Amino acid sequence: MDGSTCKVLLVEDNEINRVVVRRLLGELNVRIEEADNGKAAVDFIREGRAYDLILMDKEMPIMDGHEATRQMRSLGVSTPIVALSGNSLQSDRDLFIQAGADDFLSKPLSRGKLAHILAKYGLNHGD
Amino acid sequence: MASVALREQLNQLLTSMFAEGLLDQQFQQLQMLQDSGSPGFVAEVITLFCEDSERILTELTKVLEQTIVDYQKLDAYVHQLKGSSSSVGAQNVKLACVQFRQFCEETNKEGCIQALNVVKHEYYHLRNKFEKMLQLEQRIQAYDSKQQN
Repeated sequence: MDGSTCKVLLVEDNEINRVVVRRLLGELNVRIEEADNGKAAVDFIREGRAYDLILMDKEMPIMDGHEATRQMRSLGVSTPIVALSGNSLQSDRDLFIQAGADDFLSKPLSRGKLAHILAKYGLNHGD
Repeated sequence: MASVALREQLNQLLTSMFAEGLLDQQFQQLQMLQDSGSPGFVAEVITLFCEDSERILTELTKVLEQTIVDYQKLDAYVHQLKGSSSSVGAQNVKLACVQFRQFCEETNKEGCIQALNVVKHEYYHLRNKFEKMLQLEQRIQAYDSKQQN
């Protein structure tokens, strides 16, 4: 897939985290949209927006990452959803996988982690 | 030559911040994102981090001043601060937040008060160093601009 058209949805309530990840993904030639809570992300899906990858934070106000993932899957979203968490506990991973996530990344995110996950899902970042 | 001396001061400051545990490798990730296209990226992130941290510390203080402490609210704020400190590489602040969350989970008010004091101490120590760092960077940029003109 052409990296210049790769689109990622970042679902993250922390503004500083969004600023950093936005820059990291920009360096990897990825287009990014952002939602600051799970409900906003689900609403994007309901509006018909499509993405190549979704990065989903766990703890967010209004709707957390587990619930947002569940709702997206029930809406028929087959896009890879990568869970983000500050913990790397197996229980955290298991809960997210049960909710419908495909993968898991521990925060803080780095260029290397993002490049790896993009490559894993065949999203050539053009790096 | 003045620029070289300033750069040396900046390098020494950063080295000491890493050695003290104030910063971890995530800060190096931020530094790598700064380039000629985004020359102020690190300063932008640091400024945002400081504004957000001080807002959170104010809220944490208010919550702990209540007779009945809302530990869920407390934990949510600490979680935010832990997340942003982790993202900018503010290691000691992050570690202090990890301990704070433990006390929140235990609903230990005294522990939370002590933990807040530790977080504040670590944050203000870091902020002081960040201010020095940004001042040195500004002086270097000003000197380099002057040399070019």
